[in-house]
Amino acid sequence: MYKIMMFEGGVYKFNELKELIEDIGGFILQESVMQSETMLHIAFPEEEERTIRNKIKDLGGKFTKLPLAGAEIMIVAPSLGKHHAVNPICDIAEFLRREGAITNMMGLARGVGKRIAQITAEEKKIIDEFDAAVFVFGDFKECIEEKKKLCDQIEVPYLIVGGPPDLELDHYVGGIGRKTDRMRRKGEIDTLKTMTAELGKILDEKRLEVEEDPLAASPPFIEEMIEMFIPPKAGEELPVIIQLDGLRINIEEEDVGRIKDVEVGKKKLSEICELKKSLFKGYLLKIKTEAEVGGIY
Amino acid sequence: MEVEVEGGGDFANTSYTTICQDTFRDLGVRDSIDRVYLYVDPKAHVFIISVKIGRVTSPVKVDDVTRQETQERYRITNEKYAPKLLAVLGDKYGERAQQLSRLEINLELDEKEIEALKALIVYDPREDLVTRILDGMDRILPEGARVRCPISLPNRITIIASENSITEDWKKKAEEMVRMQEGVSEDV
Repeated sequence: MYKIMMFEGGVYKFNELKELIEDIGGFILQESVMQSETMLHIAFPEEEERTIRNKIKDLGGKFTKLPLAGAEIMIVAPSLGKHHAVNPICDIAEFLRREGAITNMMGLARGVGKRIAQITAEEKKIIDEFDAAVFVFGDFKECIEEKKKLCDQIEVPYLIVGGPPDLELDHYVGGIGRKTDRMRRKGEIDTLKTMTAELGKILDEKRLEVEEDPLAASPPFIEEMIEMFIPPKAGEELPVIIQLDGLRINIEEEDVGRIKDVEVGKKKLSEICELKKSLFKGYLLKIKTEAEVGGIY
Repeated sequence: MEVEVEGGGDFANTSYTTICQDTFRDLGVRDSIDRVYLYVDPKAHVFIISVKIGRVTSPVKVDDVTRQETQERYRITNEKYAPKLLAVLGDKYGERAQQLSRLEINLELDEKEIEALKALIVYDPREDLVTRILDGMDRILPEGARVRCPISLPNRITIIASENSITEDWKKKAEEMVRMQEGVSEDV
């Protein structure tokens, strides 16, 4: 299983670190160089953590855990009206991104109100494409309890974020509610940290499920194979997004045929993955388990 | 501006007090409002908001937003009012009023006309005060509460909002609440 961490430091002997990552069979998921500052999201085999830490000790720099890395999360608000956007959903999304997640936002078509709140079949399907969902509700206890029925229809794990701090619901984090400005005070940042920790726990459960029945190939490995075959276009951001048990690839329709022939070990991508068009963006690759298709070597 | 929120529990009351203050401040009507009263009943999904209008700031005149530099040259000193000022001058003087640069206006007038120009009203906050307050109330009330019912009283705007149809009972209750608020405001 791969561990994903973030390196922040200078450019001094930076290439040596990148080479080491390649040598130990790791991957660079994101790289950003800003003048003399660098930031890397690295996926590497868990047992090699000591080797990388030793190298970073030589270079100098910060090496931090990304508890939500490798997960694509949907943040769901009752609507995209001024009552919910931009605060607090943007603060929540930003905080999740800082912890390594890839986030997307959606407003439900008829999610407002208490009795009248609804979720459509298509919205459910879109949310189920993601690794987890965060539902952002308002200030009233009664409304959140009623709206929980919307969340129960979702198949992926979810977290509910709302106002009242003392609500007894599963996977609920209170203390946020409706906001009119940015969440930048200490108490608010602490609440966001609690929320991240709770979501981290939910994702860990899902990770454990994936580990128990391992995938034929890991998502970062497939990502590298795809990028070797179809290089990312200039200026295109995140053409391939890693999920816990698959990938989301933003490719043109004419490349779909080509992508099926990408070689992953001794097998073709179409043999070890299910490819389907996403209702949200691009195409989804769901990796089959090793028990189902056998090893790739 | 004083804000009172009742009925929603500690967290919701504090949160909605901040929402009321921030929303009316953003819309620039805080100084024109004496008191805001918000009653929430999430169980029945009924929300009553009542705003008592206070003293409205005096109208903005041409003299307040411009400075006369020469006989026919004027400089805009508060650019916020520039579009309204140009529209007013255009309406009154037609092509005689010309914008030379971003902040310069050329307008040839005799002494008598200059006095009249200075007293010309550019913007009267009274004109759109109610519209702005209503906009603020719409931003404060929960989005799901789309059924609205106004209660009319002088110098006060009151709205009952719910996702269900609003019963006569609620209308009566709201009127009582508002009348009690009238008493509170007089005491204040």
